[in-house]
Amino acid sequence: MTLAIDSTATIWRKHMRKFLTNGEELFGTMIQPILWVVLFGVGMARTVVSAQTSGTGSYVGFMLPGIVALSAMGGAIGGGMTWLDERVRGILKEYLVAPIPRVSILLGTIGSTVSKAMIQAVVIFAVGALIGAESGGSVLGWITAIILAIGYSIGFSGLALAVASQTDDLMAYHAMIMLLNLPVLFLSNALYPLRSLPSWMRIGAMANPTSYLVDGIRQGVLRGQEGEFPLWLCLVVVGGFAIAGLLLATRAINSMTRRK
Amino acid sequence: MNGYGIGAMSAIKAVEVKDLSKTYSSGVQAVDGLNLVVEKNTIYALLGPNGAGKTTTISILTTLASPSAGTAKVNGYDVVEDEKAVRGSIGVTFQEMVLDEALTGRQILMYHGRLYGLSSTECRRRSNELLPLVDLSDSADRKCRSYSGGMKRRLELARALVTVPNVLFLDEPTLGLDPNGRSRIWTYIKDLMQRTDLSVLLTTHYLDEAEQLADRVGIMDRGKLVAEGSPSELIEALGADTVTLRGEGSSRALIQRLRGLDEVQEVTAVDGGVLIGVSSSSRRIAEIVAAAGEVDFTIRDVSVTKPNLGGVFFKQTGHEMKNGENL
Repeated sequence: MTLAIDSTATIWRKHMRKFLTNGEELFGTMIQPILWVVLFGVGMARTVVSAQTSGTGSYVGFMLPGIVALSAMGGAIGGGMTWLDERVRGILKEYLVAPIPRVSILLGTIGSTVSKAMIQAVVIFAVGALIGAESGGSVLGWITAIILAIGYSIGFSGLALAVASQTDDLMAYHAMIMLLNLPVLFLSNALYPLRSLPSWMRIGAMANPTSYLVDGIRQGVLRGQEGEFPLWLCLVVVGGFAIAGLLLATRAINSMTRRK
Repeated sequence: MNGYGIGAMSAIKAVEVKDLSKTYSSGVQAVDGLNLVVEKNTIYALLGPNGAGKTTTISILTTLASPSAGTAKVNGYDVVEDEKAVRGSIGVTFQEMVLDEALTGRQILMYHGRLYGLSSTECRRRSNELLPLVDLSDSADRKCRSYSGGMKRRLELARALVTVPNVLFLDEPTLGLDPNGRSRIWTYIKDLMQRTDLSVLLTTHYLDEAEQLADRVGIMDRGKLVAEGSPSELIEALGADTVTLRGEGSSRALIQRLRGLDEVQEVTAVDGGVLIGVSSSSRRIAEIVAAAGEVDFTIRDVSVTKPNLGGVFFKQTGHEMKNGENL
């Protein structure tokens, strides 16, 4: 048991060290969401009247949760890349011949992927606050928002790891994950309110867990933003997404670590 | 230890493989009834052409793959029932380089040791001990992305040793290295054998490597051992030395004459001379030279080649003896 915890921690630490000392990965995955907030958010704020969004808050505040989702995706995609890279390079074999339980490979990898996703999400919150999203809300609201962000990070990390198990080719992985990237953001309430969407898009957005993350964060911590779903539903959907992601990743990683 | 005493303890083999077979789900039978023993504190080299089943054998012994039939023990532990004990007592380098290039050499050793449950202090101590041994002290804190092929291989060797294994599995440890890099790896392995209580099972397709390093050599073909012994035993069993005569005169007449001699097994014409397969060449050389004189063949050059593992290998895995009788 202690060895399982130790080895999980070792794998997690190694992944995090690589992430935090790899300037390009860190810069690349951080800068994209920041650009979203700064360029898109500020630019759109001029054209989108807040009445058309919801509540009385600014557009930057309105779109910020969506960018949190986008950042979580960026981190998760990075985690999937690490997994793909370790598989292709054979580093997975180094783990497999070590006297560690298979589950620590699974937990270490999921753990580091989720950590990356969350680090990114936190940075975005901070950037958003700096450029004028009015945050507020109760302690409970913050706790809810953080739980939602963790749940969403877990869900998307699972998805990224599952996709990264499908191919040995980094380009193919990126192509597949990019395919997910756009609809996850645009087919949701992240950039525009649900009620402004045509019904086919609204149905799509309601099937997208991103919408519930975004809605929950808006209600929880952003002053002047109103929700479109009940908060409990946000928690249930994002929780379900997290569990589904975990199951997907577990299945994918287990099939890779099984003896041939 | 227990009640068996020294005799029983020393009877434990580093590696013991019995009737081992492996058929992959694709239907490929990679190993077919393999029997093999590696004694403690020895180096065993598995030779064989590509696809002979060497890497699959290593995979089973290192618990990456499971056997379809038969048993395999490492350090007395069964690779199926006691996989954790097996993993805890072995060091492995894979055929392809397996290094996290974003990490420094020292970090790679540290994380590897931590994975095996060693304390940070212990990992640091072992790294400091091993890095000079593989000549990497100066580059230990550089990311290993910048290492040469030989440095990477040496780092992998050090990594396999961080955890103080009893049995070391080296799958093609010098693949892709230049001759200088190869001989350095050999030096490290030999050096290690003298310092530590270590047994080594390595695969290679460099014959000179097996001849240089190994106490025992097994030649594998189509999933089976087709020959086994110490390098000198295998070579002796091959029999004939090769005498090469070069000079001027009628090769045909010379060949006719030589075929009449005792002990001469084979004579073939080559450009400007003949190749003579003969046992105990040193005692026959005078007769051969005299025979050349009889047919007016003027000798310019005589050379004697002792058989080597290359000959054994060819004989065992080449077209003549495909079915793999024992020598």
